[in-house]
Amino acid sequence: MSIISLQDVTVNFEDHTVLKSIQLEIPAGESFVIVGPSGQGKTTLLKVMAGLVTPQNGKVFVEQKEWITLSRKERLSVLKKVGILFQKNALFDSLTCVQNISFPLRETTELSDWEITKKAEYFLDAVGIPHARDLYPDEISGGMQKRLGIARALALDPEIIFYDDPTAGLDPITSRKIIELILKLKREKGSTIVAITNDMNRAFQMADRIGMVVDQELVITGNPEQTKNHADPRVHQFVRGLLQGPLTATP
Amino acid sequence: MIALIAETLTGLFTPPFRRKEFFQQLYFVGNKSLVIVVFCVCFAAVVTILESSFHMKMVIQNDSMVPGFAALLILRELGAIVSALLLSSRVGAGYASEVGSMQITEQIDALKMLGIDPVNYLVVPRFLACVLGGMMITIVANMACIFSAMAVSQLYLGYTPSMFLTSMQRFVDFKDLIFAMIKGACFGGVIPLVACYFGFRCQQGAEGVGRATTNTVVVSSIAIIVIDFILSYTFSYLY
Repeated sequence: MSIISLQDVTVNFEDHTVLKSIQLEIPAGESFVIVGPSGQGKTTLLKVMAGLVTPQNGKVFVEQKEWITLSRKERLSVLKKVGILFQKNALFDSLTCVQNISFPLRETTELSDWEITKKAEYFLDAVGIPHARDLYPDEISGGMQKRLGIARALALDPEIIFYDDPTAGLDPITSRKIIELILKLKREKGSTIVAITNDMNRAFQMADRIGMVVDQELVITGNPEQTKNHADPRVHQFVRGLLQGPLTATP
Repeated sequence: MIALIAETLTGLFTPPFRRKEFFQQLYFVGNKSLVIVVFCVCFAAVVTILESSFHMKMVIQNDSMVPGFAALLILRELGAIVSALLLSSRVGAGYASEVGSMQITEQIDALKMLGIDPVNYLVVPRFLACVLGGMMITIVANMACIFSAMAVSQLYLGYTPSMFLTSMQRFVDFKDLIFAMIKGACFGGVIPLVACYFGFRCQQGAEGVGRATTNTVVVSSIAIIVIDFILSYTFSYLY
């Protein structure tokens, strides 16, 4: 049973088509990784799935419910099952680390202040930044901000988690640690993951299945082994990072 | 903009009601703007008295009506509009840059993904705080204006406070204060709506935030002056 389903989705920005007739089924519990050259619409695809971008054509289903037809109340109940880590983390800069995690709990649950604080501290521990409890996002490093973003995304125990480039701008060791953290939390919670990355090593580490966004389409390349040996020359070039091939590098 | 106004007005009656955010914003609008507003309106009142006296002496060789005339001008126009224009540059610019920064750093999207309506969370408390804050600041600004006008009348024109108040009583009605409060509330309401509108539409980068801030100050100042005309015209039928 698919937890996310995209049927013939097309997204245009003004007169420019970003995504064209995208078809995708993501089963519950899967770790699906989106790769592809910069500026091809990976984040847009993720935002379509998350309901932040409404496609001009096609249907988007999350938990068998079509985003666009949901009432405000239904939408809220679906959103409680969805967590997201944004590319730039989107942390609330006027709140401390513990308040950033407490905020969604305070807004959407009936928990007491004590329970909220305990839960927020548990997630700070889980992502390995308990010492940053009372610091503001600007006062912590990029890696710690990522961890805090992950903690906030997980705060409501979501069934689906979207990660938009969780290792962007991080050194290889921190990147690896972040992916291990994501996978550890996935194993503990049994959630479905949809992640974007441009780092193929991290994609192979994380993915059950990989899809590549290129030329307005989504090419499902299969599991990491199938992706490495995929016949499409664009996939071949991207996976190996070759300069020669059908893809042209964006400056 | 119309959609934002409609959503904000609907949000006033839709839970959750965000008391904490409202009081934070009221503190920002009221307390933190008060000194600047009072300082500026006092100088505006002094200029009004001096200019009125100069012109009345030139035309009718008598400035006995200056206190009453100035008090009327202060209550009907000066207190409310100077306060509102100062608020639009201080509070409006602050709101636009705050919401604009949230927009470009995806914090607005993060709110949506947490199931929080950005209009309910950001606009409604600011709107309410500015309406109430605008009204209160107008009252305080008018009082400060009147006192400074009274002081300068005594110092430069020789009218004692009791002469000033007697003259003021002849010209000024309680209705003037009510109308000034209505103006303050309306001007206050315009500022967060314009600021949040440009903040939500903010494009990428620092330049986008700068543009949103500039547009907010320009558009809200124009809107305040146009609304002032509409309200003054409407009130003229109620005297």
